Amino acid sequence: MEWIFAFLVALIFIWYLTFTASRLDRLHHRVETSWASLDALLQRRAAIALDISHIPSLDPATAVVLTRSAYLAREAEMAERSEAEESLTNAIALLGESEDFHTEYPEISEKLEVVTEKIRIGIGIHREAVATTKHQRSRPIVRIFRLAGTAPLPVVHPFEKVPL
Amino acid sequence: MRRKLRIGLVSPYGWDSPGGVQVHIRDLAKFLISNGHEVSVLTPVDDEESIEEGFVVSAGKPVAIPYNGAVARVLFGPVAASRVRQWISASDFDVLHIHEPAIPSLGLLACSIAEGPVVGTFHVAAQKFKIAFAIVPIIEPIVERLRARIAVSEVARETLKNHIETDAVVIPNGISWDSFQGARPRMEWQLGKTIGFIGRFSEKRKGLSLLIEALPKIIEIHPDLKVLVAGPGEPDEILQELDPKLKSRLTFLGLLSEDEKRQFFKSIDLYVAPNTGGESFGIILAEAMATGVAILASDLSAFRSVLEDGKWGELFYASDADDLATKASALLADPARLESLAAMSSEGAKRFDWSVVAEKIMDVYDLVSSNGEKVILASGNRAWNKLIRGRGE
Repeated sequence: MEWIFAFLVALIFIWYLTFTASRLDRLHHRVETSWASLDALLQRRAAIALDISHIPSLDPATAVVLTRSAYLAREAEMAERSEAEESLTNAIALLGESEDFHTEYPEISEKLEVVTEKIRIGIGIHREAVATTKHQRSRPIVRIFRLAGTAPLPVVHPFEKVPL
Repeated sequence: MRRKLRIGLVSPYGWDSPGGVQVHIRDLAKFLISNGHEVSVLTPVDDEESIEEGFVVSAGKPVAIPYNGAVARVLFGPVAASRVRQWISASDFDVLHIHEPAIPSLGLLACSIAEGPVVGTFHVAAQKFKIAFAIVPIIEPIVERLRARIAVSEVARETLKNHIETDAVVIPNGISWDSFQGARPRMEWQLGKTIGFIGRFSEKRKGLSLLIEALPKIIEIHPDLKVLVAGPGEPDEILQELDPKLKSRLTFLGLLSEDEKRQFFKSIDLYVAPNTGGESFGIILAEAMATGVAILASDLSAFRSVLEDGKWGELFYASDADDLATKASALLADPARLESLAAMSSEGAKRFDWSVVAEKIMDVYDLVSSNGEKVILASGNRAWNKLIRGRGE
């Protein structure tokens, strides 16, 4: 009798382990896809920034910052990348302060605004996915049984904390 | 240019029973269709004959259960679940947009069944409930599947944070701003100085009793005051308990049509929203604003954000009849102020127009569906499947 009971408990426990593992797998997938769409948007922003840096009337300092961070944003490794995105955000914020930019280049400033709005949402979604995944991965059952497998711990990149 | 998408919307409540969530889904569906997207709405339906919209798919008859202080007409059970499954697997959606994924109805079912680019919108604002410890472990792993979460207001977002510790993007409910322009007043509703009230007045939290409590003080200063009360309900219940002297002041209009609602706003001098709580968004305030009427609302956080902290209408301390009486009297004594409030409020409602709101929703759709994944039925156990598939390959 007892061994049946023990067997059932073990069965339920194993089911729970696989349930938790698939839950984690799904969460990791969510982090990946949300990062992929955010990444695509950031690339688009970098391309727009590069276009802006070619505007002849732009002051040289802004042009340098835009060009540099746009290139880095497109090509750099993650550690440098985050810094580049951050400086791009700041450079764009400076651009936004000038009324002339909007009135003289309505088309590109409109484009920039649209993509910025999307990035804002994209960052929110990514940060949420990372937070939930981290929270699940911190559970003892996940750590003890190594349910997360070899998946790297997801991170929120520093630039995501800078308001756009 | 946006990609044209196949979009599935899931409504938790009966399509043919009145409610803000259903109206929101219907208008969103129409807007998406007019933008060239393909839309299908899965919803509980009471009377299938009454459905006019071609994009509506019935999942069966809703059942009435008490939920969150009101009676909700929802649908669940194995038959409903298999309908949801059929609908998802037959439709090949690019995006599935579930409304109220945490309420025990089609939304929760769809959320537990679907996988891929799934978006959820949370409408409800509620206090933390007592049995949360038992319900949250069920709901959490399901809601976790959503690729993106939308809350219709800061209050709804806070509710979500408190209940299941997850964050959301705030995108407000939409209105068709254009359709509220150019409304004309109706002669028989212009009765001298009038205050207007709209809502299911028998529900305590809508605050009609608070307005009635404030009336004697307002009448002292404005002896010719009338109150128009619109909305579904039984006036006798209110009239029985009413001070006989006040009876002649109140006129009950019953449930108004959309057109009548606009005429109503245009006919009254002051629209009062005395709600005492439980409001998540306050679409009626946005509609009043769009029509162009002076507004006095209680300072619930949902109302404060619609009125942008008093920029588009005045606020009084919620549940404080004295403050309501004072503010209403002062406003009614100042026709110039009423007029200027009415003239400008419509501007403040532009941010709720579907062209703005749906744009943001479509941004979210783009974000979750950018990799071209489709909505599929969830495999019961991903880890096992991966293992087995992995071996097979």
